[in-house]
Amino acid sequence: MKHGKDEKTTNLAFSDVISSRLGGETINLCYQCGTCASSCPVAKITPRFNPREIIKLTLSGEKDEVISGDAIWLCCSCYNCQERCPQKVEIADVIYALRNIAVKEGYIPNIFSEFASAILNDARVVKVSKFVETKRPTLGLPPLQPTGVNALRKILSATGFDKLQQKKEEAT
Amino acid sequence: MDQVKVGVFLSDCGKQLSEILDFNALTDYVKKVSGVVLVGRSSEFWRGKGLQFIVDAIKDGKINRVVVAESLPKLSEVNIVQAVENAGLNPYLVEVIDLKDHCAWPHRKTPSEATEKAKAMLLAAIERAKLLEPLEKLEFSVLKSALVIGGGIAGMQTAVDLADLGFEVHLVEKTPFLGGLATRASRFFPTDDCAICIESPVSDVKTITHTSRKCIYRSGFSEIPNMNILTNSKVVAVEGVPGNYKVTIEKKPRYVNELKCVRCDLCTAICPVKVPDEYNAKLKTRKAIYMNIPNVHPPVYVIDESVCKFHDCAKCVEVCPTDAIELDQKSEQITLNVGSIIVATGFREFDSSIIKEYHYDDYPDVMTNLELARMIDGFGPTGGVIIRPSDRKPAEKIVFVQCVGSRDRRYNPYCSSICCMISLKHATLIKSAYPDTDISICYIDIRTTGREHEDYYERAREMGIKFIKGRPTEISRDTETDRLIVDVEDALLRKILELDADLVVLAPAMVPAEDTKELAEILGLELGEDGFFKEYNAKLRPTETKLRGIYLCGGATFPKDAPTTSLHAHSAAIKAVKFLTTGKIVKDQRTAVINEEYCGDCEFCPVTCPYGAISLEPTTEEHFVAKISDLLCEGCGVCVGTCPLNAIELRHSRPKQMLAQMKALMSINGTSKPLVLAICCSECGHTAVDSSGMAMMQYPANVRVMKVPCTGILQVHQFLEAFKAGAQGVMVVGCKSDGCHYEVGSQKAENKVELTRILMKEYGIEPERLEMFNMVFIEGDKFAAAAQTMTERLEKLGPLPTMGGS
Ligand code: SF4
Ligand code: SF4
Ligand code: SF4
Ligand code: SF4
Repeated sequence: MKHGKDEKTTNLAFSDVISSRLGGETINLCYQCGTCASSCPVAKITPRFNPREIIKLTLSGEKDEVISGDAIWLCCSCYNCQERCPQKVEIADVIYALRNIAVKEGYIPNIFSEFASAILNDARVVKVSKFVETKRPTLGLPPLQPTGVNALRKILSATGFDKLQQKKEEAT
Repeated sequence: MDQVKVGVFLSDCGKQLSEILDFNALTDYVKKVSGVVLVGRSSEFWRGKGLQFIVDAIKDGKINRVVVAESLPKLSEVNIVQAVENAGLNPYLVEVIDLKDHCAWPHRKTPSEATEKAKAMLLAAIERAKLLEPLEKLEFSVLKSALVIGGGIAGMQTAVDLADLGFEVHLVEKTPFLGGLATRASRFFPTDDCAICIESPVSDVKTITHTSRKCIYRSGFSEIPNMNILTNSKVVAVEGVPGNYKVTIEKKPRYVNELKCVRCDLCTAICPVKVPDEYNAKLKTRKAIYMNIPNVHPPVYVIDESVCKFHDCAKCVEVCPTDAIELDQKSEQITLNVGSIIVATGFREFDSSIIKEYHYDDYPDVMTNLELARMIDGFGPTGGVIIRPSDRKPAEKIVFVQCVGSRDRRYNPYCSSICCMISLKHATLIKSAYPDTDISICYIDIRTTGREHEDYYERAREMGIKFIKGRPTEISRDTETDRLIVDVEDALLRKILELDADLVVLAPAMVPAEDTKELAEILGLELGEDGFFKEYNAKLRPTETKLRGIYLCGGATFPKDAPTTSLHAHSAAIKAVKFLTTGKIVKDQRTAVINEEYCGDCEFCPVTCPYGAISLEPTTEEHFVAKISDLLCEGCGVCVGTCPLNAIELRHSRPKQMLAQMKALMSINGTSKPLVLAICCSECGHTAVDSSGMAMMQYPANVRVMKVPCTGILQVHQFLEAFKAGAQGVMVVGCKSDGCHYEVGSQKAENKVELTRILMKEYGIEPERLEMFNMVFIEGDKFAAAAQTMTERLEKLGPLPTMGGS
């Protein structure tokens, strides 16, 4: 927890940042009832993730803790919490908003940046190994067609995705 | 009509004002105004010698219009008007203005400008007074009787109060027995005693017995003089006006003669029809002829017509020793004439089955607090033993779930305010009777805000009742053990728990009673967003409605605990008594009047009038004309502002009176600044101006204030007239739009201001010259600031090009 006056004000403004984003509008309605946490299949199996806690940290302005940690990446987007929240907080959407901010600020877990570079290079989420490629005919599968990677790259560069990814790669 | 002779009386408030305003100049000015025949000066005119001077002038026939400039006009006006009436002049021919708070004090730094403004104010008052017309006082008769709808604790207490005070009371209850939710709830916090305990009627406490409180069943409730109890009855229609309502009641048959039944119980013993007893949470069965519990009122059986076999069986008829059973009874329509109506319809539990994940409908061991109350009641179906209904074994582990359907934006966003206490009461009662019971309460926030209520929370903790801060997401059932499992996060420990339980008790939201909407329509009352009846003013008039003669009490306005319900019930009774007691309503004619020739029966005004005072009545075969009830009209003028054909006027604020005032206020400037007309409503708007003056807040003297009953009276053309009369800017000052004293006036004015601004643009006038402001009395600073801002804005804009001042 930080106590410097200036930091406090900027930190608190963080909940405003979230509530002004698509999906984040309802965050201030949360009264910490924990329905989301007890609805969440992920929270049930790991103490590393608790949606109620993420909302609380965000409301308290603990931006760094939220966006630099790995918790927000553990949500499996099942929307159970969002269905049950009595205050209609759009929890899963809040988490998306948080992820978007995290990515912008350069916090992407490695696994996600691997996916991203696979998409940028081959237009596939998972890299196809030589082994798989040679195995396909034996299973009666046709050879893989080339992907439209150039078209995809254009689209991704129009959205600025490639730059985010570059930044991440430079950092690591 | 006699020639108009105006007397003008200038008070300098003990020289306070003459230090700022030049009273000699004012006197000279006023003397020259046509119609003015007498000018008086004194240090006060609202009492003593000053007032006597006015009275004498009237008695001598010197004057027939009175203009007084006096401080605190809202106080002094009462005295002056009364004295004028006593002197023999119609009291509606008086105009009182305030040269202190509206002129001298806010402009004390610019005395000569203030004097010029005072001249304009006096001229406006004189011009208005000249056009005032005498009005009559009207009397309407009021029946000294009341209808109370709802026989729970609220309705019963109000009814007893009214009956004790000598009014004829009809108490209508839709179920066969009195007592409402209270009797089912069995015990009440904060005393843990019986819910059916009520105050004894005066008629018996002093004369027959010496107990101050009694159970309903032994209270002699039905023997109270003037009390007519109608159970199994429902209000189906209400007609008429305050003081004279005609109410139609439908009384369903009871099939048992109330005067003959001696409660021998032979009928229930012989009745062959058994059904689950809903009243007792279906934990037992009852017969087709039954009583809810032994200690009910009236102490008479009733036949459930949905299951009785009637003449195919008739066994009860055979055994009844007093021939009390009458299987051929029919529904009756009863007509009552009453002066006043009190709504005490209360609330009920939210239907928990709507929240599917709690499986209230699927699992018998999930029940509500009201059902649990039946088990705690010694008269109840289990004789006070707490069981799990599925196998009737004692419940050893109980989990309470708070906020079921309340504080939940999917159903009821509000806190029902009593359910935390109900759960705490139940948990502690069970724990003291059965100390080994394991009890947990899952809550979002525990709310115990009444006197001695926190003690329950403290006692519960001392007793070892566990509190889990968390709202369960789901209740499921272990198919092997048949026990319930409650999924909840303990948010303080950040732990996800699976609590097992024999019994899960839901604390449902409290929602309006079943037929609330229907009744609201019958009575012409409004409901709030939460579905409860809307009170006239939550702060000052919590048991009144906007309809005179109709009052609200108890849970009909919002869920309440017993102490608050009692307070509310007594308050409604006193309001009804105030209304009924003289047997008449005295009202004046400061009401609206229709010019029938102009009325085009467009139907705008009947729907706009917030008080339902306007009806359309046929004149010829195909023509209707609007008619206004002087009794119902509150004189707001909202209809005037709405009528597209200018067919409506307020007798005391006619357009020609307003125009004359406007022109006079704009006739003298005396400052170098652009003239501003501030049209203020008589409620918050005008008093905000008072308060800025009282606090000596300064704003420029070019701002002139004109009072109207409610800003809702204003019409588009009046704004344009103001500009034509020389205003460079117009401020409209009304109540907050959600706090308008006439409900919709402020909102209507806002709309008209918007519309006029569009028109102004079309005409090439800057729309910023017109603006609506909303403020309350204590916001005098807001008024001063707005006046300043408007002036500065107009100075920047420069003079109005087309209509420029005269
Ligand atoms: S369920 Fe909704 S209100 Fe409850 S803690 Fe989660 S986000 Fe907050
Ligand atoms: S959407 Fe995410 S946070 Fe919500 S319940 Fe599913 S995994 Fe948990
Ligand atoms: S009183 Fe308690 S249980 Fe009832 S709605 Fe309010 S917080 Fe919830
Ligand atoms: S003045 Fe007001 S209360 Fe009277 S009829 Fe018109 S709208 Fe209704």
